Amino acid sequence: MSIATFLQTLVFGLFTGGIYGVAAIGLALVFGVMKMLNIAHGELVMLGGYVSFWVFSAYGMDPFISLLIVIPALFILGLILDRSVYRHIVRLLGEEKIKNSMLVSFGLTLVLQNLAQWLFTADERSIQVAYAGDGFNIFGVLLPYTRLATLAIALVAILGLNYFLHKTYPGKAILATAEDFESAELAGININRIYMMTFALGASLAAIAGTFVTVTYGLSPSIGIIWTLKALIVIVLAGTGSILGAFPAGILLGVVEALSGAFVNPSYREVIGLVIFILVLIVRPQGLFARR
Amino acid sequence: MTNFLVIENINAAYGDIQTLWDVSLQVKQGEIVALIGPNGAGKTTLMRLIAGLHKPMSGTVHLADVPLHALPAYDIAKQGVILVPEGRRLFGGMTVLDNLELGAYSRRAREARFKTMARVFELFPILEERQRQYANTMSGGQQQMLAIGRAMMGLPKLLMLDEPSLGLAPLIVENIFEIIKLMNDQGVTIFLVEQNARKALELANRAYILEQGRVVGTGTGRELLQNDEVRQAYLGLAPAAVK
Amino acid sequence: MKTTLQSKSASRFLAWAGLILLVLFALYYPKSVDKQNIWNLFFLICLQITLGQSWNILGGFAGQTSLGHAAFFGIGALVTRTLWLNGQPFLLAFALGGLTSVVFALVIGLPTFRLRGAYFAIGTLGVAEVMRITVGQNVPYISTMPGLMIANYDLPARYHLALGLAIATVATAYLLLRSPWSLGILAVREDEEAAQATGVHVLRHKLLALALSSLFTGLAGGTFAYQQISYYPSAPFSPAWTFDALLITFIGGQGTLMGPVIGAIFFVVVREKLSVNLVDVHQVIFGILFILIVLIFPGGLVEAWERLKKLIFRKEEKHVPISQ
Repeated sequence: MSIATFLQTLVFGLFTGGIYGVAAIGLALVFGVMKMLNIAHGELVMLGGYVSFWVFSAYGMDPFISLLIVIPALFILGLILDRSVYRHIVRLLGEEKIKNSMLVSFGLTLVLQNLAQWLFTADERSIQVAYAGDGFNIFGVLLPYTRLATLAIALVAILGLNYFLHKTYPGKAILATAEDFESAELAGININRIYMMTFALGASLAAIAGTFVTVTYGLSPSIGIIWTLKALIVIVLAGTGSILGAFPAGILLGVVEALSGAFVNPSYREVIGLVIFILVLIVRPQGLFARR
Repeated sequence: MTNFLVIENINAAYGDIQTLWDVSLQVKQGEIVALIGPNGAGKTTLMRLIAGLHKPMSGTVHLADVPLHALPAYDIAKQGVILVPEGRRLFGGMTVLDNLELGAYSRRAREARFKTMARVFELFPILEERQRQYANTMSGGQQQMLAIGRAMMGLPKLLMLDEPSLGLAPLIVENIFEIIKLMNDQGVTIFLVEQNARKALELANRAYILEQGRVVGTGTGRELLQNDEVRQAYLGLAPAAVK
Repeated sequence: MKTTLQSKSASRFLAWAGLILLVLFALYYPKSVDKQNIWNLFFLICLQITLGQSWNILGGFAGQTSLGHAAFFGIGALVTRTLWLNGQPFLLAFALGGLTSVVFALVIGLPTFRLRGAYFAIGTLGVAEVMRITVGQNVPYISTMPGLMIANYDLPARYHLALGLAIATVATAYLLLRSPWSLGILAVREDEEAAQATGVHVLRHKLLALALSSLFTGLAGGTFAYQQISYYPSAPFSPAWTFDALLITFIGGQGTLMGPVIGAIFFVVVREKLSVNLVDVHQVIFGILFILIVLIFPGGLVEAWERLKKLIFRKEEKHVPISQ
């Protein structure tokens, strides 16, 4: 394999990994703070994608700009879902909470998936921007503008999230709730509001991933479960205790998938990720990046 | 002194097992009241219940006539009832500064947080020294100080402490109790659960004895220190000399 | 005393009578009507009863929520179809399909059962997806019955196989609940650690539940392979089959004996009635129903029925004198 091909593969792995990271971090946030497993997370990604698609096809808005609409839209949806469904589960404890959140979100996948199908039909959609094929060409490695923008925005989002969580009052309250929700309550933190905000934030992050997915791959109502699995793989790799670790884990998955796809039959790329996932679950369930 | 914290006929259970039976007690404004009793008597359950982490089956809790028993824990904290839980329960992955900041989450406390933090650092200079250190890297005594400091940040009207001396060296325990006395001098009402019954009774104005979920005795600190049964059961001492 | 016993054995008798009537109905109604869509409808109901009940054995009785049951369904279908279309007698292919499914289940069950609740669920989901993609890659072409088989296609025979399988699955669940293993299995569901502490060999009981569960799901796959004239080999690996099993079991009443039966009938009938649009309105309804059941009414239709019975028969009980 030539150097150029290797670099190209690596670079595309990075780009893909960026999307994986953003897709996963919303789920990591919800799991880390609320200790719930939202299987419908992929559906939120898909819906985010559809909002950007709709805004693009109806108003011609550039998908990256449409994030200004997509993010608030899914934020509100997140609030609605938390208030109507998840708040009944978030007060349970331990195993029961995880199991029930899984089941409830499974029911939601059916509802949300078919909602999307009703609104947008089952046809595959994608966004073709004017500058779709263009990009930089450095030493024979192609860097498309769309992919660069995706990675750049992903990094901005992650850095923004990091700042929010570690340097602002509400962000620190969220981290405190994740560590010990009883102590957080004792300190006067309204954890019901924290949970609601966290879920909405997770949905917003999913929305960003959804926009990226629409631009990069294409969209249909049934992709939800694929992205939920992707997010789950990344979270397991990162370790379920780590929230921000989901992003580097996503990058890692993207790179590993890309490189292995170059050496093995590319159609097995998906399988590689899943197999790693299963192996890590069995051998090292606390994840690769776990601090504890 | 007026009745500040009033607990009436509290019955509580964990699942099917009843843990508190018809518990009533009062804490007057400005007092230090201790709750002593054997392990498993339900002292922590009662503390958690007052703080709102646990709901009673029946009975009421009032703070200066404001009913607390139906409020969520975070609203109770905002009312000025702040619990320093058993085992400290700090936010270990966050710095000392963060922990203190988070203690002042209510609006009232947040506005005053710089002033309060200055007072906390005055009382606990070591916290100022190590303000950027992660809470879980500190010693037990320092963590207890941080826990109390965090509670102070919430501008408590009633400060509750669950086993503050647990696992700490005697010298540090002395220090902590001095500070509790100091806070009381400054106007904070104190309600305290302590394994170290002698220290608690020496410090407290009044105390209650909780056994198997029931209040079995009450009196002033001095009275109970002299009481033969108390001496035998909780202080490991011989009966008191004739007064 | 006498009266209470009478009412208990009376309701038992009614239950058995009802069941026998149901089976007789299932046997004779399709034959008397003899319309293809009725045969297919009843076939589907029986298939879903099997799927639901077999999931229930692992998920409802033993408390191990599996999200990867489609893997067992798919393996059963794949092995059966491959062997059968290559000349093996159907019953042999059918049996081997079920057996392969069990072996596969035990192989992945041993390591994955170490995982707790949610991890087990997503682990099984991962495994099922691996199977689906791998099969889709290696066997991408549509599998069609040879012309002779199509000409001799006997739909009633397919239905009777499905019916027999459904009855066998429910019977197995019933016998399991009456067996000495039932206490252990239910204990594992309630509290694994406590069960372990009281001497229950947790892994063995989980594996038993898994073996039975995967066996019947695999056989259901084989039945599917028998019935379908042409299909993509990766289709039975689709997660939709797992999700259907979950819906059926929960809506019917997970952990109960008749839950999956009632749930399957409800599920298939409602789906048929509502499948008029392109939109899968029934999916939305099932989704919402599922959420409501998990949040509010975990007993499902079975519990609703029990409560209804109490309401109706309470009036009669009032007139019954309680002696001694």
